[in-house]
Amino acid sequence: MGNEHNSEYAIEMLHITKRFPGIIANDDITLQLRHGEIHALLGENGAGKSTLMSVLFGLYQAEEGTIKKDGKEVKILSPNDANALGIGMVHQHFKLVECFTVLDNIILGDEPVGPMGILKKEEARKKIMDLSNKYGLQVDPDAKIQDITVGMQQRTEILKMLYRDNEILIFDEPTAVLTPQEIHDLMKIMKNLAAEGMSILFISHKLAEIMEVADRCSVLRKGKYIGTVNTADVTMAELSSMMVGRNVNFHVEKKEQHLGDVILEVENMTVASKVHKNNAVKNVSLKVRGGEIVCIAGIDGNGQTEFVYGLTGLEPLVSGKITLMGKDITKMPIRKRSIMGMSHIPEDRHKHGLVLDYSLEDNIVLQRYFEPTFTKNGFLRRKNIRKQAEDMIKEYDIRSGQGPITTSRSMSGGNQQKAIIAREIEKDPGLLIAVQPTRGLDVGAIEFIHKQIVAQRDAGKAVLLVSLEMDEVLDVSDRILVMYEGEIVGQLDPKTTTPEEMGLYMAGAKREEVKP
Amino acid sequence: MILLIQYMIVFASVLMLVALGGCFSEHSGVINIGLEGIMVFGALGGALVMSTLPAGTSGFVIVILSILAAMAAGLIYSLLLAVAAINFKADQTLVGTAMNLLGTAGATVIVKAINTKANPDNPSSTIQYIGAKKAFLLVEGYEFNWFMPLALCLLILSWVILYKTRFGLRMMACGEHPQAAASVGINVFKMRYAGVLISGLLGGLGGLVYITAGVSEWKFENGVAGFGFLALAVMIFGEWKPFKIALAALLFGFFRALSNVYTGFDFLRTLNLPSTVYNMLPYIISLIVLVLFSGNNAAPKAEGIPYDQGTR
Amino acid sequence: MQENKSFLKKPAVQTILASLICIVLGVLIGFIALLIINPSGAWNALGEILKNFWNYSKHTTQMKNLGNTLVKTAPLLMCGLSVLFAYKVGLFNIGAAGQYVAGAGACIYCAVGLGWGWFPCMLASILAGALVGSLSGLLKAYRNVNEVISCIMLNWICLYLVNTLLSKIKNPTSPYTYAINLKVVTTDGVTSTAAHPQALLPTLGINALFNNNKYVGIAIPLAILLAIASWVLLSKTKLGYELRATGLNKYAAKYAGMADRGNIILTMAIAGGLAGIGASMLYLTGFEDWSVTQASVPAMGFNGIAAAFLGGLNPIGTIFSSYFIQHITDGGAQLNKQVYPGEISSMISSLIIYFCGFVLFFKSTMNKWLDSRAEKSAKKGGK
Repeated sequence: MGNEHNSEYAIEMLHITKRFPGIIANDDITLQLRHGEIHALLGENGAGKSTLMSVLFGLYQAEEGTIKKDGKEVKILSPNDANALGIGMVHQHFKLVECFTVLDNIILGDEPVGPMGILKKEEARKKIMDLSNKYGLQVDPDAKIQDITVGMQQRTEILKMLYRDNEILIFDEPTAVLTPQEIHDLMKIMKNLAAEGMSILFISHKLAEIMEVADRCSVLRKGKYIGTVNTADVTMAELSSMMVGRNVNFHVEKKEQHLGDVILEVENMTVASKVHKNNAVKNVSLKVRGGEIVCIAGIDGNGQTEFVYGLTGLEPLVSGKITLMGKDITKMPIRKRSIMGMSHIPEDRHKHGLVLDYSLEDNIVLQRYFEPTFTKNGFLRRKNIRKQAEDMIKEYDIRSGQGPITTSRSMSGGNQQKAIIAREIEKDPGLLIAVQPTRGLDVGAIEFIHKQIVAQRDAGKAVLLVSLEMDEVLDVSDRILVMYEGEIVGQLDPKTTTPEEMGLYMAGAKREEVKP
Repeated sequence: MILLIQYMIVFASVLMLVALGGCFSEHSGVINIGLEGIMVFGALGGALVMSTLPAGTSGFVIVILSILAAMAAGLIYSLLLAVAAINFKADQTLVGTAMNLLGTAGATVIVKAINTKANPDNPSSTIQYIGAKKAFLLVEGYEFNWFMPLALCLLILSWVILYKTRFGLRMMACGEHPQAAASVGINVFKMRYAGVLISGLLGGLGGLVYITAGVSEWKFENGVAGFGFLALAVMIFGEWKPFKIALAALLFGFFRALSNVYTGFDFLRTLNLPSTVYNMLPYIISLIVLVLFSGNNAAPKAEGIPYDQGTR
Repeated sequence: MQENKSFLKKPAVQTILASLICIVLGVLIGFIALLIINPSGAWNALGEILKNFWNYSKHTTQMKNLGNTLVKTAPLLMCGLSVLFAYKVGLFNIGAAGQYVAGAGACIYCAVGLGWGWFPCMLASILAGALVGSLSGLLKAYRNVNEVISCIMLNWICLYLVNTLLSKIKNPTSPYTYAINLKVVTTDGVTSTAAHPQALLPTLGINALFNNNKYVGIAIPLAILLAIASWVLLSKTKLGYELRATGLNKYAAKYAGMADRGNIILTMAIAGGLAGIGASMLYLTGFEDWSVTQASVPAMGFNGIAAAFLGGLNPIGTIFSSYFIQHITDGGAQLNKQVYPGEISSMISSLIIYFCGFVLFFKSTMNKWLDSRAEKSAKKGGK
């Protein structure tokens, strides 16, 4: 790692294009990483950051474009190639063996051995402790991963890169799972590493962190390269507008609002996280009334999923109270909530929403098969089920190869989603919870689904929409609540707010007290 | 008393060897329900060598050759699991069950075919190896044989391999978190093959030890009477760790031995418990252990899940 | 051409094809073994295995032997259904073997020890099997104990418990229990008198069809009825809808508010009950007596795994697959023992189970092949 470099840049990714069936994930993207700098890569979900990094790390091959290291063109066909070029990555989900010690995890794959393959751990320990002291990466080499904090796990991942003498370090959304104190420590470590000559790529969508730690920032939006700026020369608001861009409005027709009674009331809800030891949802309170669409906006992974799990009964609450139409449903099983009038369009239609190997008609009655219309004396009433499915197919324009008996797996994503929406709306719910209802769908399907959701609101139902799409949030909702790190940090009016303002809340750069 | 200890040690060596085999396979991420079948084939390989070696062969040669034959037979048989589970992502429980059934049936077919070829009026599934068996004994008149020191060596070797070598570290990583192992350039397929094949080696040897314990002929129709399953219990009770496995094997071997010789003890005879109770105890204990400690399960986390390079 | 392709795309067709591939591969290896043992007679020997009772020239003898095969098919079918039922809910019931043993113990003890009639004996065997099955289900649902492991342990616990129980009614001159069906040799050949006639399953006159094979009786139609009932339960009822949903996607089942734990326990209880009744279908005919010294779990339950998978995990398919497995098993007994070992047919059936592990691979290969052909013909059509 000398000071003499052949090129100004440690790594250059020039005109990279990567296509997946039906989508261009990276469209002519150029990214140049200088020696010893911290370079942030900013963009919303689906902007193409992960794909670009996967290309750099050898997990994907780009169709077009070149990668240069130190000015010399290189081919990276696998993570091993990347490693040989000194490129290391801290994945968003750590790749650590839980029951191994920190030391074992660091040396795994690159172990110092004596004769007969016997491990020489003392040698490794010395190198690790030296690195640990040099960069302030405090770890206990003999502790097991399962017993240490997320912060120390992350330091273990960083040491894994340093142990392999990597000098180009990729951090994939490293702060998502950390506490504020741990984030602060990580920022310091990253600055130390850069000061020692490491070149760092920092993937994030948290503006404050980027402003604090990065020298430069490249912005991607919808697979396209927007530009690279010096963080010293821009404001957070400018970065935010680069990230979200201009709104393309497909405006949704809405009738004048007639607010009804409070349908859903959530008080001080806290839900544990499955990924880390902190709570995913912290003390959230909100109300949804009949005739309004309340949208929970935010960047992926800020507790929205867990909030919905807690609300619908898929996960138990740590604390808090949920009231639906005047009844306490905090401890109620899922089935009862559903019968009481809670409909749930789930985030993951393949995991929760559908039994993919069931026919369309069987999925149409998934929430109602036990009702007398569909079951008599324990036997399914196939005729009624068929009729229900045929009605839904007609009403919601669900297209499938063989009508009601089509295997759901063979249907297109849009039609699968329509089937779920038909099922949930046809239950005539008091409260409709729609989580990312248009994810991955084409424009036609999106428009249709938005219309259905607005129709529910116009009919006086309460709608809770959870969305990551800025356009959707602004177009469809009557009231926006922004969730950041498990808390509601802002309430916005879609008529008066701007994407830039929303971006500031979503990225944690701005917050206010919100009273439910 | 001496009889009890003899039996206990013999059974414990068998259980320990086979359970260590299972331990390697599971640490690499493949559940090996087929240990019973592997034992049968190992026993068959060893028995065939013992019965075919000419009478004058020196004891040392007999010992070495039959051990090698048993291990080789177990290894080849375990390939059935490796290919199906690793390359074809087959259901490991299904394949293991098939291997257990095939073990007894296949071995019986082979032995009967050999026996009837030699003498059409002898359609039995028994192999005799009276002469060769003596070569294994360490002390005349007692059931202490070469296998016991060998088992002890293999125990220590297993521990060293698992916890002190690069190979062991990498293999266990594949059973715990194959994606993590692959991300640092480890070939998960190769390591899993290694784990399954080692279980074949040790399981095969265990089969040979079992059929030479106290008897000098074996009827292959009987298989190995559930010792492969008992070894699974030993492995679970031993929390997938070699030395704990050894202790568990001694404990379970003790119960097994008691069921054979309990009539020799006055106070046990007065208890008047049927021998089946002693046979049952190991299984009941393992089941209780599973129930009590299911929360902090020591089983390798990725065992039984086929590794797919696509998932990250 | 077009029709042919879509025909091969049908899941049912693919399932049957995959099962046939398993059978062909298993039989092929069995044939190779026969060739190695004695090449000259191998072809005939294979024929003898596959023909089973047709080896006899006399129609009456044929029917009598067909009857014997059917008597053993009934319990095998029940074990197959037991495995299938659990598998539909995503559980691998390797414990059908132990549940079968429990059922055997219960019905034999009730028949010989307590002198009960056949119906209560049968109920006892269902109950015993269900109890063992639900224990595995309970452990899975509440303590998350892997059902495969708990079932293996329970298999052996059941075996030893039943051996202990039945040694109370052991015949002092043999390792077997007192027979339900005593054989008495009279001058005009073998006839029988029952020691516990009240416990023998009624024959309903069906035995007349099988040259008065006294073992043939109610068990066979009952087994088929239960297979059909399982099919109805799984595909026509609310419970079946829930169970299948749980097996196919437990997250969606939970999302739809189904009781996941309760369903697991119920499933294992039903599976256990099926294996248990299977045992009474064999032992209450007096076809076989229980040996209290047997040191290994009877293979019936494990063969049930073969029947279930070979039957494409469909209750109706399992009727045919379990008959086929029993057919070749009995066919093995037809072989000339001085040349070929009869176990060759157990070997074939275990090979068939082994190849069932590859069914997914067969199917995906078949689909890939069909897709690539469709693509090619589409390209041609385009030109």
